Amino acid sequence: MQLPEPLERLIGELSRLPGVGPKTAQRLAFHFLRADRERAERLSEALLDLKARIDETLICVVEAPLDVLAIERTAEYRGLFHVLHGVLSPIDNVGAEEIHIPELLDRLAGGEVREVIVATNPDIEGEATAAYLQRVISPLGVQVTRPAHGLPFGGDLEYADELTLARAMSRRQVL
Amino acid sequence: MRLVSLTLRNYRNYARLTIELQPQLNLFLGQNAQGKTNLLEAIAILALSASPRSRREADLIGPAAPEASVEAVVDGAGRRLELALKVAHGSERTVKTIRVDGVARRAVDLPGEVQATLFWPEDLNLVKGGPEHRRRFLNEMLVQVVKGYGRTLASYRRVLEQRNSLLKRIAGGLEGRGSLPVWDEELAALGSRLVEARAGAVSQLAPLAAANHGAIAAGEPLEIEYSGPPAPLGPALAASLEEDLRRGSTGVGPHRDDLSIRIAGSEARSFASQGQQRTAVVSLKLAESDLIEARCGERPILLLDDVLSELDAPRREALLARVGEGGQVVVTSVEAEPFPAALLERATVRCISGGRVEPCG
Repeated sequence: MQLPEPLERLIGELSRLPGVGPKTAQRLAFHFLRADRERAERLSEALLDLKARIDETLICVVEAPLDVLAIERTAEYRGLFHVLHGVLSPIDNVGAEEIHIPELLDRLAGGEVREVIVATNPDIEGEATAAYLQRVISPLGVQVTRPAHGLPFGGDLEYADELTLARAMSRRQVL
Repeated sequence: MRLVSLTLRNYRNYARLTIELQPQLNLFLGQNAQGKTNLLEAIAILALSASPRSRREADLIGPAAPEASVEAVVDGAGRRLELALKVAHGSERTVKTIRVDGVARRAVDLPGEVQATLFWPEDLNLVKGGPEHRRRFLNEMLVQVVKGYGRTLASYRRVLEQRNSLLKRIAGGLEGRGSLPVWDEELAALGSRLVEARAGAVSQLAPLAAANHGAIAAGEPLEIEYSGPPAPLGPALAASLEEDLRRGSTGVGPHRDDLSIRIAGSEARSFASQGQQRTAVVSLKLAESDLIEARCGERPILLLDDVLSELDAPRREALLARVGEGGQVVVTSVEAEPFPAALLERATVRCISGGRVEPCG
């Protein structure tokens, strides 16, 4: 049976979504065919807003999926994420190939990304991973940055961890 | 610097102990295996944040107890501090928690609050034993006087372990050399900080040790020199890479440091008599206490564990002269015999038996 061209196109787009096969795509398309115009407008607006809000030239690299939630909660960051699922740690038999570094380099190959923020934890392995990423990403002409270390907001200076306080003092900013 | 009181709970063979310490000489007498060393170890832990004798912290927890604790009140630099250290059996590993005046502190940041110099029979290896004894001597002194030294040392050890694992992975064809420079840079940066601290301390320690040695051994010259890695460390690491890959471990760096100790111009480890070696050990330990005092402005607590019986009369007298100089001293001994009566009169003497401390007799 020949379907009208707009319906055919919608089924085509829907079936490209993750987890959606041709049958589901058809069911969703017919659902929108029956729904009123307002419903369709709300969906298309939401999709467009989403794309307008996300800065696709920015990738934040984190160690674990939960780190994504932590950064998302700040509502400050509008770029993309890349989860490494680990850090460099030869002791645990984890090298660059064992975490998702090759995939990150693939994402950068397109040339749209201009900055990579390496938000690995500030411990020995996290710092080593950040240094390694800086080494392999900089030659691609992409800027590599690291989140600032500083004093916790609302914290009492007297009880600040010494190392944090020392770093905050040495990397102070002009007001 | 002085310890006002000490409380132990489920700490090795002490189920429960609270003692007050007097500002000068505190003498604890007891037979072997009654808890003398454990008592001094507990005080040393507050200075070093780790046991000077056992790597396994679970060993500190008494039988059938979930956790051990060491609490102390300390007077120093015009202020009173309350320190509490707990070691508990965790589900995966031993958990150590530290509080200074009730505020949680990371273990690496505890040293520096209390300074102590521990001298026990194990130290007799300082001159005749392998270089690891001399590195340990430097580390235990430096964590107490150089801010951040303990943290740098812990990070250095971790990065070294990572690099050694990476060397093996590269040699085994599991990984390329791409990430090696990252570890090398970090190792060189941390290593250089250790080298700087050690070299500075040894240049200050050498004349102090020489003066102490000269005073005990009628002017016999003692020379101490720091023997560190080639500088700068970064290029030295790069130069030893092929050798390191073959061996699967890192051949240069402060983890291979040593102290050169020469008595009357000859290398003490091989050529000195046992008596000379012991004089050098006493001189080094006293110099450690001198250096801590010079850097911190206060005499460290001197902890002497059963060492007097190991020393002959002139060395014992040199050590006891220090005991009479002021500053707090905590001494353990099997017998009161080596102590002069004049000293015993000023001392608080107690007896240790089966993990209990009581008045003697």
